[in-house]
Amino acid sequence: MKWAAVPLAALVLYPVIRPFDTYQQTVLLLAFLLAVQAVSWNIISGYAGYVSLGHSAFLGLGSYTAGIVGVHTGLNPFLAAPLGGIVAVLGALVLGAVVLRTRGHAFVIITIALLLAMQVVATNWSSLTNGSNGITLELPFWSRDFQNVPFYYFFLLLMFATIGFSWAIRRTKFGTGLVAIREDEGKAAAIGVDTTRYKIVAFCCSTFFIGTAGAGYAYFLTFLNPVGAFGILGSVTIVLSALVGGRGTLWGPVIGAFLVQIASELATVYGGGSQSRVLLFGVALVLVVLFLPAGLLPAISARVRRKSTVEYTDQAGALASARVEVSVAAAAPGPILEVRGAAKRFGGLVAVDGADLTVQRGSITALIGPNGSGKTTLFNLVTGAMRADAGEIWFDGRRIDRLPPWTRGHLGLGRTFQVTRLFKSMTVLQNMVAPLPDGRWRTMLAGAVRGHEADRARELLGFVGLARFADQPAGSLSYGQQKLVELAQVLMMEPKLVLLDEPAGGVNPSLVGRICDIVRGLNEQGVTFLVVEHNIPMVLGLCDPVVVFSRGKPIAEGPPQAIRADPVVLDAYLGEEAIADALT
Amino acid sequence: MAGLLSRLALVTTAALATAVAGCGERPSASSADSDKPITIGISLPLTGDFSQPGTQAKRGYEVWVNMVNAKGGILGRQVELKITDDASNQDTVVADYTRLITQDKVDLLLGTFSSLLNYPASAVAEKNGMLYVEPAGGAPRMFERGFKYLIYAQPATAPKQADVMLEWVKSLPADQRPKTAAYPTQDDPFTRPVIETLQAGLEALGVRTVYSTVYPPDATNFQTIASALAARKPDLVAQGAVFEDGVGLVRSLKQLGFSPKVLFQTSAPSNAGQYSDGVGAANTEGVFYTVSWNEKAKTPLNEDFVAAYGKAYNGETPAEDAADAFAAAQVLQAAVVAVGKIDQKALADWLHANAVETILGKLTWDETGAPQSQFLLAQWQGGKVEIVAPADRATTTTVIHPKPDWK
Amino acid sequence: MTQLAQAVALGVLIGGVYALLASGLTLIFGVMHVVNVAHGAFLVLVAMLTWWMWRHTGIDPIVASVVTTPLMFGLGWALYRGLVVRIRGSSASMSVLLTFGLALTVEGVLNVTAGNKFRSATPGYFEESYRIGGVSLPKPQLYGFLAAVAVLALLYVVLTRTWTGRAIRATAQNPDGAALVGVGATATASLAFAIGTATTGVGGSIMSVLYPFFPASHYDWISRLLGIIVLGGLGSLPGALVGALVLGLAETLTATYASLRWSTLVFYVVILGVLLVRKQGLFGARLREDVAA
Repeated sequence: MKWAAVPLAALVLYPVIRPFDTYQQTVLLLAFLLAVQAVSWNIISGYAGYVSLGHSAFLGLGSYTAGIVGVHTGLNPFLAAPLGGIVAVLGALVLGAVVLRTRGHAFVIITIALLLAMQVVATNWSSLTNGSNGITLELPFWSRDFQNVPFYYFFLLLMFATIGFSWAIRRTKFGTGLVAIREDEGKAAAIGVDTTRYKIVAFCCSTFFIGTAGAGYAYFLTFLNPVGAFGILGSVTIVLSALVGGRGTLWGPVIGAFLVQIASELATVYGGGSQSRVLLFGVALVLVVLFLPAGLLPAISARVRRKSTVEYTDQAGALASARVEVSVAAAAPGPILEVRGAAKRFGGLVAVDGADLTVQRGSITALIGPNGSGKTTLFNLVTGAMRADAGEIWFDGRRIDRLPPWTRGHLGLGRTFQVTRLFKSMTVLQNMVAPLPDGRWRTMLAGAVRGHEADRARELLGFVGLARFADQPAGSLSYGQQKLVELAQVLMMEPKLVLLDEPAGGVNPSLVGRICDIVRGLNEQGVTFLVVEHNIPMVLGLCDPVVVFSRGKPIAEGPPQAIRADPVVLDAYLGEEAIADALT
Repeated sequence: MAGLLSRLALVTTAALATAVAGCGERPSASSADSDKPITIGISLPLTGDFSQPGTQAKRGYEVWVNMVNAKGGILGRQVELKITDDASNQDTVVADYTRLITQDKVDLLLGTFSSLLNYPASAVAEKNGMLYVEPAGGAPRMFERGFKYLIYAQPATAPKQADVMLEWVKSLPADQRPKTAAYPTQDDPFTRPVIETLQAGLEALGVRTVYSTVYPPDATNFQTIASALAARKPDLVAQGAVFEDGVGLVRSLKQLGFSPKVLFQTSAPSNAGQYSDGVGAANTEGVFYTVSWNEKAKTPLNEDFVAAYGKAYNGETPAEDAADAFAAAQVLQAAVVAVGKIDQKALADWLHANAVETILGKLTWDETGAPQSQFLLAQWQGGKVEIVAPADRATTTTVIHPKPDWK
Repeated sequence: MTQLAQAVALGVLIGGVYALLASGLTLIFGVMHVVNVAHGAFLVLVAMLTWWMWRHTGIDPIVASVVTTPLMFGLGWALYRGLVVRIRGSSASMSVLLTFGLALTVEGVLNVTAGNKFRSATPGYFEESYRIGGVSLPKPQLYGFLAAVAVLALLYVVLTRTWTGRAIRATAQNPDGAALVGVGATATASLAFAIGTATTGVGGSIMSVLYPFFPASHYDWISRLLGIIVLGGLGSLPGALVGALVLGLAETLTATYASLRWSTLVFYVVILGVLLVRKQGLFGARLREDVAA
């Protein structure tokens, strides 16, 4: 951050040193305004990954708030500015609660539609907005000698505030949660991140400073109209700035904003007027998306960062029999997990067909079956990644099939995935501290990596032999290494029941034994396990009871040896050679 | 990484500082260097929704500047126009005028086309204490802001524009008067007050309103409005049009087979050639509109203006917008010549206190900059435009009523 | 009563044209899950080309689509191979941004070369209409409707009766499975994009007669088309037809009985409503990704 000190100081002092460079100051203050918007946009679209193509609507909302308030009360727009911010946030709250339930292309399309719809509403709701007559604001109250200097400082201050805000968010668990949502929303939900709340809060955060800036902007323009306030080109400029500079980084949007504003100004002055601006933006957007999707800042820092030397898993360390302590909350009587009549269809395909399953507290239960028998779907129903079409799911005495995934995680349900789902752009340590133990606001706003948590994280990492990788990006680990991290990550949540989806897949044989030891050790301390595995020797050695799934429901259940010899199971799953083996 | 960025940042700041060091200076008092040309800054909608009238205005300004320079310029200095394109966009017009004033440091300003654009542009001029003479922008709200530097170079503001049409309807014997009327208008700060005033006036006369609607500026399909009109068959249709919409409605009325007895449109029919090309020469017959200017008027310099325009542009007749632009420039010129120097406040004061003879006739203004004269009622007859009212400015006594059917 | 009949007639006629315009867009989405926001800009591009041809050669605009359609086919193919294929794996938002950039580029090029003015092709029959009962059927609308129906029928035949069409549908439903039976994903996707873009050849030519347009008109068009394909179900051709008729009628009825000002809002409301309440629209398929978190 220190490198920013010189340019920022220069910006602060510029009007003092050269007070009459009105034109240059105007270009700069528009760049500040764009930076405020780009940095704010970055919170929902860079950190959280929900690309909004309608964000300039909030600038318009702020502008109109200041205009309408000014017309009715005469309040100076600078004073009305925070009100503009509040209106923008309220707008985001209402819209976000409705719109953030969609994902992918749906969200982007909706944001475009919302922006254009707002333009139509602003044009036609003349009693409030004066329609296309527009709203004329009072002229600035200061002497003409000061020109645009007050606006310059207004937007500069806002820019500082917005950058600081973005920086603060990044440092909290809220910030890492947003990145988790961007990387893998389902996984984030599974580790206790209340994705709905996070997205709405992020959306609101991304609008306050824009709304405030909008009020100042209205004052600067002296005139508001629906087409100008809710134009799509404004949104495109914001997106372009953040993309060019580096979406998801702190300073990327700022640098991008300056580049885009200055380029746009140059194009207008030298490149044949405002018409060429559309062409410039179009070409720039295409080029950036194709060739520089991460933006300039990450591209530069990728070149600068030294390649790290390859490190191998601390196999010896992993195989050492260190014990890790976990605590499991006091148990209520009864089975820890009960699935009654769960069903799930995908169109014509029935994946889970009225399945009943009971997992006894303190057991290591195995769930085996041929591919396509519905085991992973059942896991998804239990953890909440999918909604069951029918049936009930009871966990620890509570009915959970209507609860969102993160609440189930807070109640003590943990899961690993068949194909590991770590957050690739975060470091291993950040991945470890990403899970949220509870749904409280205080937890959300706390610092991302707290001392006690970091210690525990390192302890668990050491336990799986990966302590040396704590500061590596998770994406640079091998598949087997990632599996171990995911297991350690789950333990951070102090789960009562852990669903392991093929834990031994992709891990070398001696480590399979280690994993079994880890599971047993945890099980002795009270953690229950439900394991899906294809590695039958491992299953038969580790688990009891074994449940066999076929075509969406269990067909057999019993101790491993019984299952091994059960002809129904052998026929459905293990095949004729195994039958022959069993009989010899 | 931090080290590299630090160095980058320092170098960039230093480079920018050096680049900026050379430009910008303390604005000196406006003492003119008598050898340099007088620059006049103008932004116009050369593209976009208003490109048609905007291009006409540019021609008007250019005909004026050529005529003035041929006669030795103003105050012995040649005049130079600096025209930029605001693409019919309000944000752009603000940026354009700001740049013209603060960066290009033009001596004088002339206005742009349409109230929509002149609204914010005039505020920029007022903020900077510069005289703003506009060829268009008659919306009433323009003059409710207490501006001291605004002057509107047309005979009257929007609400007054339709007065002369109202007078004509009043003058008809009772059995020939329209009984019913419809008022489609574009959602524009200029056209709406014109039509609304006309509607109020006609309703007071007993003409029943059967249909009235406001359509957005970017509307291109008028069939639904035309079908509503065709269903209700009003005797009189008064449309608040700019240009495309005026042509579009006539076409749609033709498609749906309805022709009112009286058709009044703002602005659109004043675009001479383009209008008759657009609707078809035979279909212009009988269309009424109010206009600030007529090419046959015997006002000073009008003949020269029409001749010069025809010479420069393929023998075409000037559109009203070109004439208005010419007149605005005439107003500015008169003030500068009378005051003798380029002092924005003195120029504004002089215009508020004096009358100027232009090709539109004599113009005077009240303290808000609103002009105090009257418009002309024009009608297309036989493929040409005739002035039918007021009587002292009329070019013919024939008035075509009712309007013939579409051809 | 006649006004209602007139409004319905106009709504159906324009609905047919909308259906053609939307068919290409929904086809592209169906096969490669890309929302081609540049579709509207292509329409305007074709309209401009048609206008230019009509102006200089007098050729009837709707007939001019014989030239513009293969042109757009080629352009679509080239764009896919050159640009769109590179972001095949990325997130949905990236494809929207890319095609949006493409739309702006087309608009910018038109601005710079042709100028930002209204244009409209006005062949002889432009202001005429057929009268049936008390209802006028304006000729441009009628001819456009007929052309649209013809092309849609052709498209339907291609998609269901030819091998190419089946290949496209197979890739849409299961790219891996299709690849296993010898249908190359890239080739099919290029073909689908090319065909989808080719429909703008006919659509744009028709459009040049119906409405005055200028380079920035593409926003209006893409909003309408998105509304239609969202309502009908992204990827569903019959859905595009139904959605187009429904929205064509809704737009005309709103304009006639309420006000022209609110008629554009109809499309936005539909987009918002459908995407929030029933994401797959009327006829769309529910993707497994939509279900799983």
